[in-house]
Amino acid sequence: MIEAHTLKQISTLYREIRRFFDQQDFIEVHTPIMTPIPGMEPHLTPFETTLTTPLDNKQYPVYLNTSPELQMKRLLGAGLEKIYNITKVFRDYELGGGRHNPEFTMLEWYRQKADYFDLMTDCENLITTLLPHSNPNPKIDFTTPWDRATTQELFHQYCDIDLNQNQTFEKISQTAIFKNLDIAGCQDWDDIFFKIFLNHIEPHLGINKPIFIYEYPATQAALSKKSTKNTFFAERFELYIDRQEIANAFSELIDPDEQTQRLKEEQELRKSLNKRVFPIDEQFIASLKSIKHPSAGIALGIDRLFMVLLNKLKIEEVILFPMDQLLKENFNNQ
Amino acid sequence: MATTTNITQGLAVKYKNQDWIVSFAQFVNPGKGAAFTRAKLKNLKTGQVVENTFRSGESIETIDVVRNKCQYLYNDSSDFYFMDNETFEQFALSADIIGDQKDFLLDNTECYSLYIDGTPMSIQLPPKMTFTVISTPPGVKGDTATGGSKEAIIDSGATIKVPLFIKEGERIIVNTEDRSYVSKDNS
Repeated sequence: MIEAHTLKQISTLYREIRRFFDQQDFIEVHTPIMTPIPGMEPHLTPFETTLTTPLDNKQYPVYLNTSPELQMKRLLGAGLEKIYNITKVFRDYELGGGRHNPEFTMLEWYRQKADYFDLMTDCENLITTLLPHSNPNPKIDFTTPWDRATTQELFHQYCDIDLNQNQTFEKISQTAIFKNLDIAGCQDWDDIFFKIFLNHIEPHLGINKPIFIYEYPATQAALSKKSTKNTFFAERFELYIDRQEIANAFSELIDPDEQTQRLKEEQELRKSLNKRVFPIDEQFIASLKSIKHPSAGIALGIDRLFMVLLNKLKIEEVILFPMDQLLKENFNNQ
Repeated sequence: MATTTNITQGLAVKYKNQDWIVSFAQFVNPGKGAAFTRAKLKNLKTGQVVENTFRSGESIETIDVVRNKCQYLYNDSSDFYFMDNETFEQFALSADIIGDQKDFLLDNTECYSLYIDGTPMSIQLPPKMTFTVISTPPGVKGDTATGGSKEAIIDSGATIKVPLFIKEGERIIVNTEDRSYVSKDNS
Protein backbone atom coordinates (compact mmCIF):
# COMPACT_ATOMS: atom_id res chain seq x y z
CA MET A 1 0.00 0.00 0.00
CA ILE A 2 1.28 3.46 -0.89
CA GLU A 3 2.05 5.68 2.10
CA ALA A 4 -0.21 8.68 2.71
CA HIS A 5 2.77 10.95 2.14
CA THR A 6 3.31 9.60 -1.40
CA LEU A 7 -0.40 9.73 -2.19
CA LYS A 8 -0.39 13.40 -1.27
CA GLN A 9 2.58 14.04 -3.57
CA ILE A 10 0.79 12.22 -6.40
CA SER A 11 -2.36 14.27 -5.83
CA THR A 12 -0.31 17.48 -6.00
CA LEU A 13 1.41 16.36 -9.21
CA TYR A 14 -1.96 15.74 -10.92
CA ARG A 15 -3.10 19.21 -9.91
CA GLU A 16 0.11 20.79 -11.24
CA ILE A 17 -0.14 18.88 -14.54
CA ARG A 18 -3.67 20.20 -15.08
CA ARG A 19 -2.57 23.70 -14.10
CA PHE A 20 0.28 23.54 -16.65
CA PHE A 21 -2.08 22.76 -19.54
CA ASP A 22 -4.93 24.98 -18.37
CA GLN A 23 -2.61 27.99 -18.22
CA GLN A 24 -1.76 27.47 -21.90
CA ASP A 25 -5.43 27.29 -22.89
CA PHE A 26 -5.50 23.57 -23.55
CA ILE A 27 -8.95 22.01 -23.19
CA GLU A 28 -9.14 18.93 -20.98
CA VAL A 29 -11.19 16.23 -22.70
CA HIS A 30 -12.48 12.87 -21.47
CA THR A 31 -12.70 10.12 -24.06
CA PRO A 32 -14.42 6.77 -23.52
CA ILE A 33 -12.48 3.92 -21.98
CA MET A 34 -14.71 1.28 -23.59
CA THR A 35 -15.00 1.34 -27.37
CA PRO A 36 -15.87 -0.97 -30.30
CA ILE A 37 -12.56 -0.26 -32.06
CA PRO A 38 -9.43 -0.13 -29.90
CA GLY A 39 -6.07 0.82 -31.38
CA MET A 40 -4.59 -1.36 -34.12
CA GLU A 41 -1.04 -1.50 -32.67
CA PRO A 42 0.07 -4.96 -33.81
CA HIS A 43 1.83 -5.88 -30.59
CA LEU A 44 -0.78 -4.74 -28.09
CA THR A 45 -3.58 -6.94 -26.80
CA PRO A 46 -6.75 -5.18 -25.66
CA PHE A 47 -9.15 -6.58 -23.06
CA GLU A 48 -12.37 -7.69 -24.64
CA THR A 49 -15.84 -7.69 -23.18
CA THR A 50 -19.41 -7.90 -24.40
CA LEU A 51 -22.05 -5.22 -24.43
CA THR A 52 -25.69 -6.25 -24.39
CA THR A 53 -28.48 -3.85 -25.36
CA PRO A 54 -31.69 -3.99 -23.32
CA LEU A 55 -35.01 -5.36 -24.66
CA ASP A 56 -33.59 -7.01 -27.78
CA ASN A 57 -30.55 -8.53 -26.01
CA LYS A 58 -28.29 -7.80 -28.96
CA GLN A 59 -24.63 -8.38 -28.21
CA TYR A 60 -21.60 -6.44 -29.41
CA PRO A 61 -17.88 -7.00 -28.79
CA VAL A 62 -16.33 -3.96 -27.12
CA TYR A 63 -12.79 -3.33 -25.88
CA LEU A 64 -10.97 -1.33 -23.24
CA ASN A 65 -8.84 1.32 -24.92
CA THR A 66 -5.12 0.63 -25.20
CA SER A 67 -4.69 4.34 -25.96
CA PRO A 68 -7.10 7.24 -26.58
CA GLU A 69 -5.16 8.34 -29.70
CA LEU A 70 -7.87 7.58 -32.27
CA GLN A 71 -10.44 9.65 -30.38
CA MET A 72 -7.93 12.44 -29.75
CA LYS A 73 -7.19 12.75 -33.48
CA ARG A 74 -10.92 12.76 -34.24
CA LEU A 75 -11.18 15.77 -31.93
CA LEU A 76 -8.44 17.53 -33.93
CA GLY A 77 -10.56 16.86 -37.02
CA ALA A 78 -13.53 18.39 -35.21
CA GLY A 79 -11.56 21.64 -35.02
CA LEU A 80 -10.04 21.52 -31.52
CA GLU A 81 -6.49 22.89 -31.60
CA LYS A 82 -5.04 22.19 -28.14
CA ILE A 83 -6.38 19.30 -26.10
CA TYR A 84 -5.20 17.07 -23.27
CA ASN A 85 -6.57 13.95 -21.67
CA ILE A 86 -5.72 12.05 -18.49
CA THR A 87 -7.24 8.61 -18.87
CA LYS A 88 -6.90 4.99 -17.85
CA VAL A 89 -5.70 2.61 -20.56
CA PHE A 90 -5.55 -1.18 -20.51
CA ARG A 91 -3.17 -3.68 -22.06
CA ASP A 92 -3.35 -7.42 -21.57
CA TYR A 93 -0.12 -9.44 -21.25
CA GLU A 94 1.61 -6.47 -19.61
CA LEU A 95 2.38 -7.25 -16.00
CA GLY A 96 5.43 -7.59 -13.85
CA GLY A 97 9.02 -6.48 -13.85
CA GLY A 98 8.21 -3.33 -11.90
CA ARG A 99 7.41 -1.31 -15.02
CA HIS A 100 4.07 -2.63 -16.24
CA ASN A 101 0.58 -2.79 -14.79
CA PRO A 102 -2.21 -3.94 -17.16
CA GLU A 103 -4.22 -0.86 -16.18
CA PHE A 104 -2.30 2.41 -16.14
CA THR A 105 -2.77 6.14 -16.55
CA MET A 106 -1.93 7.94 -19.76
CA LEU A 107 -1.53 11.65 -20.27
CA GLU A 108 -2.01 12.57 -23.92
CA TRP A 109 -1.82 16.03 -25.40
CA TYR A 110 -2.21 17.24 -28.99
CA ARG A 111 -1.42 20.54 -30.68
CA GLN A 112 -2.27 21.82 -34.13
CA LYS A 113 0.26 24.10 -35.89
CA ALA A 114 3.05 22.09 -34.28
CA ASP A 115 5.50 19.27 -34.95
CA TYR A 116 7.20 16.78 -32.67
CA PHE A 117 10.04 19.14 -31.77
CA ASP A 118 7.44 21.44 -30.16
CA LEU A 119 6.38 18.50 -28.00
CA MET A 120 9.96 17.99 -26.82
CA THR A 121 9.84 21.57 -25.51
CA ASP A 122 6.46 20.84 -23.91
CA CYS A 123 7.97 17.83 -22.10
CA GLU A 124 10.87 19.91 -20.80
CA ASN A 125 8.53 22.66 -19.59
CA LEU A 126 5.96 20.32 -18.05
CA ILE A 127 8.43 18.24 -16.09
CA THR A 128 10.39 21.33 -15.00
CA THR A 129 7.22 22.78 -13.46
CA LEU A 130 6.66 19.49 -11.59
CA LEU A 131 10.16 19.36 -10.07
CA PRO A 132 9.44 21.63 -7.07
CA HIS A 133 6.76 19.11 -6.05
CA SER A 134 9.02 16.08 -6.54
CA ASN A 135 12.06 14.34 -5.11
CA PRO A 136 13.75 12.62 -8.05
CA ASN A 137 17.05 10.82 -7.82
CA PRO A 138 19.58 13.65 -7.31
CA LYS A 139 21.98 12.09 -9.87
CA ILE A 140 19.60 13.09 -12.70
CA ASP A 141 20.23 16.61 -14.02
CA PHE A 142 16.95 18.08 -15.25
CA THR A 143 18.47 21.35 -16.48
CA THR A 144 17.13 22.11 -19.96
CA PRO A 145 17.75 21.65 -22.84
CA TRP A 146 17.78 17.86 -22.46
CA ASP A 147 19.86 15.55 -24.64
CA ARG A 148 18.65 14.59 -28.10
CA ALA A 149 19.81 11.75 -30.36
CA THR A 150 18.38 10.01 -33.41
CA THR A 151 18.13 6.21 -33.49
CA GLN A 152 20.63 6.36 -36.34
CA GLU A 153 23.13 8.21 -34.11
CA LEU A 154 22.63 5.80 -31.19
CA PHE A 155 23.14 2.66 -33.28
CA HIS A 156 26.26 4.25 -34.64
CA GLN A 157 27.54 5.35 -31.24
CA TYR A 158 26.95 2.11 -29.32
CA CYS A 159 27.16 -0.61 -32.00
CA ASP A 160 28.88 1.00 -34.97
CA ILE A 161 25.86 0.16 -37.16
CA ASP A 162 24.60 2.52 -39.85
CA LEU A 163 20.82 1.89 -39.95
CA ASN A 164 20.60 3.68 -43.27
CA GLN A 165 22.95 1.12 -44.84
CA ASN A 166 21.06 -1.78 -43.24
CA GLN A 167 17.48 -1.29 -44.30
CA THR A 168 16.63 -4.92 -45.02
CA PHE A 169 16.33 -7.94 -42.74
CA GLU A 170 19.10 -9.79 -44.62
CA LYS A 171 21.46 -6.84 -44.46
CA ILE A 172 21.01 -6.05 -40.77
CA SER A 173 21.21 -9.78 -39.86
CA GLN A 174 24.56 -10.06 -41.64
CA THR A 175 25.87 -6.89 -40.04
CA ALA A 176 24.76 -7.97 -36.55
CA ILE A 177 26.32 -11.43 -36.93
CA PHE A 178 29.53 -9.87 -38.27
CA LYS A 179 29.67 -7.63 -35.20
CA ASN A 180 28.94 -10.61 -32.94
CA LEU A 181 25.65 -9.19 -31.68
CA ASP A 182 23.03 -11.65 -30.42
CA ILE A 183 19.99 -11.77 -32.72
CA ALA A 184 18.65 -15.18 -31.68
CA GLY A 185 14.90 -15.57 -32.05
CA CYS A 186 14.53 -12.49 -34.26
CA GLN A 187 12.02 -12.91 -37.07
CA ASP A 188 12.01 -9.53 -38.78
CA TRP A 189 13.91 -6.25 -39.09
CA ASP A 190 12.14 -4.69 -36.11
CA ASP A 191 12.97 -7.66 -33.87
CA ILE A 192 16.67 -7.14 -34.59
CA PHE A 193 16.32 -3.39 -34.05
CA PHE A 194 14.71 -3.95 -30.63
CA LYS A 195 17.02 -6.74 -29.53
CA ILE A 196 20.10 -4.63 -30.22
CA PHE A 197 18.42 -1.53 -28.78
CA LEU A 198 17.39 -3.30 -25.56
CA ASN A 199 20.72 -5.07 -25.07
CA HIS A 200 23.19 -2.39 -26.08
CA ILE A 201 21.55 1.03 -26.14
CA GLU A 202 18.66 1.33 -23.69
CA PRO A 203 20.83 0.53 -20.62
CA HIS A 204 22.72 3.81 -21.29
CA LEU A 205 19.77 6.13 -21.90
CA GLY A 206 18.87 9.07 -19.71
CA ILE A 207 20.92 8.04 -16.70
CA ASN A 208 22.32 11.47 -15.89
CA LYS A 209 19.97 13.61 -17.94
CA PRO A 210 16.66 12.99 -19.74
CA ILE A 211 17.08 12.24 -23.44
CA PHE A 212 14.79 12.43 -26.47
CA ILE A 213 15.37 9.57 -28.93
CA TYR A 214 13.98 10.65 -32.29
CA GLU A 215 13.60 9.61 -35.94
CA TYR A 216 12.46 6.03 -35.41
CA PRO A 217 12.37 3.63 -38.36
CA ALA A 218 9.19 4.10 -40.38
CA THR A 219 8.31 0.42 -39.87
CA GLN A 220 7.46 1.47 -36.29
CA ALA A 221 5.81 4.71 -37.30
CA ALA A 222 2.25 3.84 -36.15
CA LEU A 223 0.27 7.07 -36.56
CA SER A 224 3.27 9.31 -37.22
CA LYS A 225 4.32 11.18 -40.32
CA LYS A 226 7.30 9.96 -42.33
CA SER A 227 10.36 12.17 -42.25
CA THR A 228 10.49 14.48 -45.26
CA LYS A 229 14.27 14.24 -45.61
CA ASN A 230 14.52 10.43 -45.35
CA THR A 231 11.40 8.30 -45.61
CA PHE A 232 13.12 5.33 -44.00
CA PHE A 233 12.49 7.18 -40.74
CA ALA A 234 9.40 8.71 -39.16
CA GLU A 235 8.91 11.87 -37.10
CA ARG A 236 8.47 10.04 -33.83
CA PHE A 237 10.33 10.40 -30.53
CA GLU A 238 10.48 8.70 -27.17
CA LEU A 239 11.51 10.39 -23.96
CA TYR A 240 13.81 8.33 -21.72
CA ILE A 241 14.64 9.14 -18.13
CA ASP A 242 16.88 6.80 -16.16
CA ARG A 243 16.69 3.98 -18.73
CA GLN A 244 12.93 4.07 -18.74
CA GLU A 245 10.65 5.05 -21.59
CA ILE A 246 8.32 7.77 -20.33
CA ALA A 247 6.61 9.14 -23.44
CA ASN A 248 6.07 8.48 -27.13
CA ALA A 249 5.27 11.31 -29.55
CA PHE A 250 4.56 11.92 -33.23
CA SER A 251 4.26 14.57 -35.82
CA GLU A 252 0.81 13.25 -36.68
CA LEU A 253 0.14 11.56 -39.99
CA ILE A 254 -2.92 13.35 -41.40
CA ASP A 255 -2.94 11.85 -44.91
CA PRO A 256 -6.05 9.58 -44.96
CA ASP A 257 -4.78 7.38 -47.81
CA GLU A 258 -1.41 6.66 -46.26
CA GLN A 259 -3.10 6.06 -42.90
CA THR A 260 -5.56 3.58 -44.45
CA GLN A 261 -2.68 1.77 -46.14
CA ARG A 262 -0.79 1.53 -42.84
CA LEU A 263 -3.79 0.26 -40.93
CA LYS A 264 -4.27 -2.43 -43.61
CA GLU A 265 -0.66 -3.51 -43.13
CA GLU A 266 -1.20 -3.61 -39.38
CA GLN A 267 -4.30 -5.74 -39.90
CA GLU A 268 -2.15 -8.19 -41.88
CA LEU A 269 0.51 -8.20 -39.19
CA ARG A 270 -2.06 -8.83 -36.45
CA LYS A 271 -3.43 -11.71 -38.51
CA SER A 272 0.04 -13.24 -38.88
CA LEU A 273 0.59 -12.91 -35.11
CA ASN A 274 -2.70 -14.72 -34.46
CA LYS A 275 -4.14 -11.63 -32.83
CA ARG A 276 -7.67 -10.39 -33.22
CA VAL A 277 -7.99 -8.18 -36.31
CA PHE A 278 -10.07 -5.05 -35.89
CA PRO A 279 -11.93 -3.21 -38.63
CA ILE A 280 -10.49 0.12 -39.80
CA ASP A 281 -12.21 2.97 -37.99
CA GLU A 282 -13.75 4.83 -40.95
CA GLN A 283 -14.81 7.76 -38.76
CA PHE A 284 -11.20 8.16 -37.72
CA ILE A 285 -9.97 8.12 -41.33
CA ALA A 286 -12.64 10.63 -42.38
CA SER A 287 -11.72 12.98 -39.52
CA LEU A 288 -8.09 13.20 -40.72
CA LYS A 289 -9.27 15.11 -43.81
CA SER A 290 -10.66 17.87 -41.60
CA ILE A 291 -7.48 18.44 -39.58
CA LYS A 292 -6.56 21.91 -40.80
CA HIS A 293 -2.94 22.25 -39.72
CA PRO A 294 0.12 20.06 -39.22
CA SER A 295 -0.34 18.57 -35.77
CA ALA A 296 1.61 16.71 -33.13
CA GLY A 297 0.52 14.41 -30.32
CA ILE A 298 2.11 12.60 -27.41
CA ALA A 299 1.29 9.83 -24.95
CA LEU A 300 3.06 9.99 -21.60
CA GLY A 301 2.88 7.21 -19.01
CA ILE A 302 1.98 9.11 -15.88
CA ASP A 303 2.78 6.29 -13.46
CA ARG A 304 6.28 5.93 -14.89
CA LEU A 305 6.80 9.68 -14.73
CA PHE A 306 5.77 9.57 -11.06
CA MET A 307 8.27 6.74 -10.45
CA VAL A 308 11.00 9.04 -11.74
CA LEU A 309 9.76 12.18 -9.96
CA LEU A 310 9.27 10.42 -6.62
CA ASN A 311 12.37 8.22 -6.93
CA LYS A 312 10.53 4.88 -6.80
CA LEU A 313 11.96 1.71 -8.31
CA LYS A 314 8.72 -0.08 -9.08
CA ILE A 315 5.50 1.00 -10.70
CA GLU A 316 3.64 -0.74 -7.86
CA GLU A 317 4.99 1.97 -5.54
CA VAL A 318 2.93 4.66 -7.30
CA ILE A 319 -0.24 2.70 -8.21
CA LEU A 320 -2.96 1.96 -5.66
CA PHE A 321 -3.96 -1.72 -5.55
CA PRO A 322 -1.68 -2.79 -8.42
CA MET A 323 -2.71 -5.94 -10.26
CA ASP A 324 0.05 -8.17 -8.90
CA GLN A 325 -1.22 -7.41 -5.39
CA LEU A 326 -4.85 -8.07 -6.39
CA LEU A 327 -3.89 -11.38 -8.00
CA LYS A 328 -2.06 -12.47 -4.86
CA GLU A 329 -4.93 -11.44 -2.61
CA ASN A 330 -7.64 -13.08 -4.67
CA PHE A 331 -6.07 -16.06 -6.39
CA ASN A 332 -3.36 -17.06 -3.94
CA ASN A 333 -0.74 -16.42 -6.62
CA GLN A 334 2.80 -16.48 -5.34
CA MET B 1 14.29 -26.60 -24.01
CA ALA B 2 12.22 -23.74 -22.72
CA THR B 3 11.08 -20.65 -24.55
CA THR B 4 11.92 -17.26 -23.20
CA THR B 5 8.36 -16.60 -22.21
CA ASN B 6 9.01 -19.10 -19.41
CA ILE B 7 12.30 -17.60 -18.30
CA THR B 8 11.81 -17.12 -14.61
CA GLN B 9 13.98 -16.49 -11.63
CA GLY B 10 15.73 -19.65 -10.50
CA LEU B 11 15.71 -21.41 -13.88
CA ALA B 12 19.07 -22.96 -14.83
CA VAL B 13 19.99 -22.54 -18.50
CA LYS B 14 22.74 -23.19 -21.04
CA TYR B 15 23.79 -19.93 -22.66
CA LYS B 16 26.92 -19.41 -24.78
CA ASN B 17 27.99 -22.96 -23.83
CA GLN B 18 28.05 -22.23 -20.12
CA ASP B 19 25.75 -22.95 -17.20
CA TRP B 20 23.80 -20.07 -15.72
CA ILE B 21 21.04 -19.49 -13.26
CA VAL B 22 18.46 -16.79 -13.94
CA SER B 23 18.75 -14.38 -11.03
CA PHE B 24 16.33 -11.78 -12.38
CA ALA B 25 13.75 -11.72 -15.15
CA GLN B 26 11.77 -8.69 -16.27
CA PHE B 27 9.09 -8.47 -18.89
CA VAL B 28 9.78 -5.70 -21.44
CA ASN B 29 7.38 -4.57 -24.13
CA PRO B 30 8.62 -1.80 -26.39
CA GLY B 31 5.02 -1.25 -27.56
CA LYS B 32 5.91 -0.89 -31.23
CA GLY B 33 7.51 -4.31 -31.34
CA ALA B 34 7.37 -7.85 -30.00
CA ALA B 35 7.71 -8.59 -26.28
CA PHE B 36 11.09 -9.36 -24.73
CA THR B 37 12.39 -10.71 -21.45
CA ARG B 38 15.32 -8.93 -19.87
CA ALA B 39 17.24 -11.36 -17.68
CA LYS B 40 20.23 -11.35 -15.41
CA LEU B 41 22.17 -14.58 -15.60
CA LYS B 42 24.61 -15.69 -12.95
CA ASN B 43 27.36 -18.00 -14.11
CA LEU B 44 27.30 -21.16 -12.02
CA LYS B 45 31.07 -21.65 -12.26
CA THR B 46 32.45 -18.14 -11.93
CA GLY B 47 29.66 -16.15 -10.28
CA GLN B 48 29.91 -13.62 -13.12
CA VAL B 49 26.62 -11.84 -13.80
CA VAL B 50 25.60 -10.88 -17.34
CA GLU B 51 22.47 -9.21 -18.62
CA ASN B 52 20.74 -10.28 -21.80
CA THR B 53 17.40 -9.54 -23.41
CA PHE B 54 15.66 -12.49 -25.01
CA ARG B 55 12.91 -12.23 -27.57
CA SER B 56 9.68 -13.84 -26.39
CA GLY B 57 9.44 -17.25 -27.96
CA GLU B 58 13.19 -17.61 -28.46
CA SER B 59 14.14 -21.07 -27.23
CA ILE B 60 16.83 -21.72 -24.68
CA GLU B 61 18.24 -24.95 -23.32
CA THR B 62 17.48 -25.68 -19.68
CA ILE B 63 19.70 -27.71 -17.36
CA ASP B 64 18.56 -30.24 -14.80
CA VAL B 65 19.33 -28.91 -11.40
CA VAL B 66 18.78 -30.69 -8.10
CA ARG B 67 17.61 -28.31 -5.42
CA ASN B 68 18.02 -29.32 -1.77
CA LYS B 69 17.37 -27.42 1.42
CA CYS B 70 20.60 -26.42 3.12
CA GLN B 71 21.83 -24.41 6.04
CA TYR B 72 24.54 -21.77 6.20
CA LEU B 73 27.22 -22.58 8.76
CA TYR B 74 30.11 -20.08 8.65
CA ASN B 75 32.66 -18.48 6.37
CA ASP B 76 36.37 -17.87 6.27
CA SER B 77 38.27 -15.38 4.15
CA SER B 78 37.69 -17.21 0.88
CA ASP B 79 34.79 -19.65 1.27
CA PHE B 80 31.30 -20.02 2.65
CA TYR B 81 30.35 -23.33 4.30
CA PHE B 82 26.92 -24.97 4.19
CA MET B 83 25.29 -28.23 5.25
CA ASP B 84 22.82 -30.03 2.99
CA ASN B 85 19.75 -30.65 5.16
CA GLU B 86 18.83 -33.82 3.29
CA THR B 87 22.19 -35.59 3.06
CA PHE B 88 23.83 -33.74 6.02
CA GLU B 89 26.95 -33.36 3.91
CA GLN B 90 28.94 -30.18 4.27
CA PHE B 91 30.16 -28.24 1.27
CA ALA B 92 31.97 -24.98 0.55
CA LEU B 93 31.34 -22.33 -2.11
CA SER B 94 33.72 -19.51 -2.93
CA ALA B 95 32.90 -15.92 -1.99
CA ASP B 96 32.72 -15.07 -5.72
CA ILE B 97 29.87 -17.52 -6.20
CA ILE B 98 28.01 -16.26 -3.14
CA GLY B 99 28.43 -12.63 -4.20
CA ASP B 100 25.94 -10.19 -2.71
CA GLN B 101 23.91 -13.04 -1.24
CA LYS B 102 26.36 -12.91 1.67
CA ASP B 103 24.54 -9.79 2.88
CA PHE B 104 21.57 -11.94 3.83
CA LEU B 105 23.37 -14.91 5.42
CA LEU B 106 23.06 -15.33 9.16
CA ASP B 107 24.30 -18.40 11.07
CA ASN B 108 21.86 -21.25 10.39
CA THR B 109 20.02 -19.39 7.62
CA GLU B 110 18.03 -21.91 5.59
CA CYS B 111 18.39 -21.66 1.84
CA TYR B 112 18.65 -23.97 -1.16
CA SER B 113 21.72 -25.60 -2.64
CA LEU B 114 21.81 -26.26 -6.37
CA TYR B 115 23.57 -29.32 -7.76
CA ILE B 116 24.47 -30.17 -11.33
CA ASP B 117 25.63 -33.79 -11.76
CA GLY B 118 26.05 -34.08 -8.00
CA THR B 119 28.33 -31.03 -7.63
CA PRO B 120 27.13 -28.11 -5.51
CA MET B 121 27.17 -25.08 -7.81
CA SER B 122 25.39 -22.28 -6.05
CA ILE B 123 22.84 -21.35 -3.42
CA GLN B 124 19.47 -19.72 -3.70
CA LEU B 125 18.02 -17.58 -0.94
CA PRO B 126 14.31 -17.69 -0.14
CA PRO B 127 12.79 -14.77 -2.10
CA LYS B 128 11.54 -13.23 1.14
CA MET B 129 13.35 -13.39 4.47
CA THR B 130 12.77 -11.87 7.90
CA PHE B 131 15.43 -9.80 9.64
CA THR B 132 15.76 -7.58 12.72
CA VAL B 133 16.57 -3.91 12.28
CA ILE B 134 19.67 -3.24 14.35
CA SER B 135 20.22 0.40 13.45
CA THR B 136 18.16 3.11 11.79
CA PRO B 137 17.71 6.84 12.42
CA PRO B 138 14.38 7.87 13.97
CA GLY B 139 11.77 8.72 11.33
CA VAL B 140 10.94 12.41 10.96
CA LYS B 141 7.39 13.29 9.97
CA GLY B 142 7.08 15.34 6.80
CA ASP B 143 10.58 14.52 5.61
CA THR B 144 9.89 14.82 1.89
CA ALA B 145 13.49 15.06 0.70
CA THR B 146 14.03 11.31 0.92
CA GLY B 147 10.69 10.25 -0.53
CA GLY B 148 9.45 8.88 2.77
CA SER B 149 12.20 6.33 3.27
CA LYS B 150 15.41 5.98 5.24
CA GLU B 151 18.26 3.50 5.55
CA ALA B 152 18.28 0.66 8.05
CA ILE B 153 21.00 -1.87 8.87
CA ILE B 154 19.64 -5.36 9.47
CA ASP B 155 21.17 -8.13 11.58
CA SER B 156 22.72 -9.89 8.57
CA GLY B 157 24.68 -6.70 7.83
CA ALA B 158 22.83 -5.45 4.75
CA THR B 159 21.58 -1.87 4.43
CA ILE B 160 17.97 -1.66 3.27
CA LYS B 161 15.70 1.28 2.42
CA VAL B 162 12.71 1.20 4.79
CA PRO B 163 9.68 3.45 5.42
CA LEU B 164 10.06 6.19 8.05
CA PHE B 165 7.90 4.39 10.65
CA ILE B 166 10.31 1.44 11.08
CA LYS B 167 12.11 1.44 14.43
CA GLU B 168 15.22 -0.31 15.75
CA GLY B 169 14.53 -3.81 17.04
CA GLU B 170 11.56 -4.39 14.74
CA ARG B 171 11.32 -7.47 12.52
CA ILE B 172 10.93 -6.75 8.80
CA ILE B 173 10.48 -8.89 5.68
CA VAL B 174 12.97 -8.17 2.90
CA ASN B 175 12.90 -9.15 -0.78
CA THR B 176 16.32 -10.77 -1.18
CA GLU B 177 16.30 -10.41 -4.96
CA ASP B 178 16.04 -6.64 -5.30
CA ARG B 179 16.96 -5.89 -1.66
CA SER B 180 13.72 -4.00 -1.11
CA TYR B 181 11.58 -3.71 2.04
CA VAL B 182 8.37 -5.74 1.83
CA SER B 183 6.53 -5.27 5.13
CA LYS B 184 6.76 -5.51 8.89
CA ASP B 185 6.82 -9.05 10.23
CA ASN B 186 4.15 -9.14 12.90
CA SER B 187 4.24 -12.90 13.40
